[in-house]
Amino acid sequence: MVPAPELLPYEKIREDLFRPLSGVSRSYLVATFCLFVIGATGFVAWSYQLRRGMGVTGLQRPVYWGIYIVDFVFWIGISHAGTLISAILRLTDAAWRKPVTRAAEAITVFALMIGGMFPIIHLGRAWLFFWLIPYPNPRLLWPNFRSPLLWDLTAIVTYLTGSAIYLYLPLIPDMAQLAEHNPTWRRGVYRALSLGWTGSDRQWLALEHAMKLMSCLILAVAVSVHTVVAWDFAMAIAPMWHSTIFGPYFVTGAIFSGIAALIAVMAALRKILHLEAYLTPHHFNNLAKLLLLMSLLWLYFTFAENLTVWYGNEPKEMAVFTARTRAHYAPYFWIMVVLNFVIPFVLLGIRRLRTIRNSTIAAACVLAGMWLERFIIVVPTLANPRLPAAARFYAPTWVEIAITAATFAAMAMLYMIFSKLFPIIAVWEFKPHPPEED
Amino acid sequence: MYLIGEFHEKEAVRAAIRTLREGGIPPTDIDLFSEEPVEFPRRVLDRSSRMSLASVLGAIAFGALATAFIYWTQHNYQLNTGGMPTFSFWATGVITFEMTMLGAIVATFAWFLWESGLARKRDHTAPVPEVDPGAICLRVRCSEEDAPQAIAAIRRAGGETR
Repeated sequence: MVPAPELLPYEKIREDLFRPLSGVSRSYLVATFCLFVIGATGFVAWSYQLRRGMGVTGLQRPVYWGIYIVDFVFWIGISHAGTLISAILRLTDAAWRKPVTRAAEAITVFALMIGGMFPIIHLGRAWLFFWLIPYPNPRLLWPNFRSPLLWDLTAIVTYLTGSAIYLYLPLIPDMAQLAEHNPTWRRGVYRALSLGWTGSDRQWLALEHAMKLMSCLILAVAVSVHTVVAWDFAMAIAPMWHSTIFGPYFVTGAIFSGIAALIAVMAALRKILHLEAYLTPHHFNNLAKLLLLMSLLWLYFTFAENLTVWYGNEPKEMAVFTARTRAHYAPYFWIMVVLNFVIPFVLLGIRRLRTIRNSTIAAACVLAGMWLERFIIVVPTLANPRLPAAARFYAPTWVEIAITAATFAAMAMLYMIFSKLFPIIAVWEFKPHPPEED
Repeated sequence: MYLIGEFHEKEAVRAAIRTLREGGIPPTDIDLFSEEPVEFPRRVLDRSSRMSLASVLGAIAFGALATAFIYWTQHNYQLNTGGMPTFSFWATGVITFEMTMLGAIVATFAWFLWESGLARKRDHTAPVPEVDPGAICLRVRCSEEDAPQAIAAIRRAGGETR
């Protein structure tokens, strides 16, 4: 039986968690190269789009928002993995969070970096994106602060800044240790990034205060960010978008996909970095239960959203509803229900089946299902506008697919590089001197 | 002058701190060094923190500035949309909220750097001990006359002086 990681000697913990940082295996290099090629293909596709214009995509009247916006919503949703889960677990002082939090926080930062690129890619004239930023200019214009798109910009900037700080703060003590124990060229980098951390009680106390405050702040920001993303849709008077529950519906979906991403990443890290002693079945079991809970909550919101539309029987809304559930987009809708509810419910609801492997399978299904959910929300509404004669189908072109695939590769590559530069589990959090009562 | 004591038990450190403080050494002259956080009950080695206040002030400052900026820009280039007011707090409230939170986040981070001493000029006369895993080092600043008493307090509590 593997002993609980807290019972292992400090030197052993440090050795185990610092070991993945040294040396690069052949399979790592091959995997990174493959991901780089996929990423580069996406970059080529984007440069083709920049040269030829948005006509190379499947976006045509009336479907102006396609899978770029689907990807944007999806990645912003994934970013909720980290901060929400990490912050909630930190605030509630859940002891099992320790090996989980950094992996989750890193997901947040990378997913936000990737998600934040999509509005720029979607702009077409990407080089003019800075027009969104309010600065004195010769045109004597200011951005329209009443636009939800500008709300998006401020929300994402705030969230990215907060998440990066939230990831960086608990890394400081680990980087100080790495600077001490690393003989390679990285020593100077770690030393610079650790800002001269000495491990004094004043520094630990300041870190503890900062992490608690940041947890509270980041929770509020995370909820607001996905609500704002939901309002991009809900503020438009479009069928099946103009809904009051879109904010909480999106937040729920974001947490749902975030937990799924975390489980998938943890399973990969456990296998590749040999962290079986630290990422135990107990952690997967707890996260699997959270995933199951969010699956049920997601089903409730999806049901509530669709039932009210069906019951209202308003023709324009019913056109979208029919397209989603019984016509062109029905296969995507029902596959989404199977991936987001049926499979997780069976694999995670039955205790005997709730293993690490099944949790990972359920998480992968949820990730695919949540991408489909974003597609089902974005496309059918635009494809069935209020003017029935304008209705049209949308299919993405190779350019959009290549860029989408590149973002998944970029996410994996960023994560692989991160796990080679920084310990994926906070070493110092494992062995605190036990607190005493007042 | 500075004295360094090394301990392997938290209770021993607490006993040493109590004796040192009874001997007239203020908490500001006592520092602990460890590879992991060490928490003591209240009144052992209390440190005051104004990080929450800094966070609130940062939030107010950024929120107020953002609102003022939006108000000014909306009047500087007026967009008349169907008789709607030129400036509406509700329509721009999201940006005010986000900027308020950004202010709190930036202020918290800045105050962390200040309070932990990471962004301040270091006193190079104060030695920083090398701490072994699991050990806790106690650094005491005291006068030459108080040194024997401080050394005795450290040793009596089970620590080794360096």
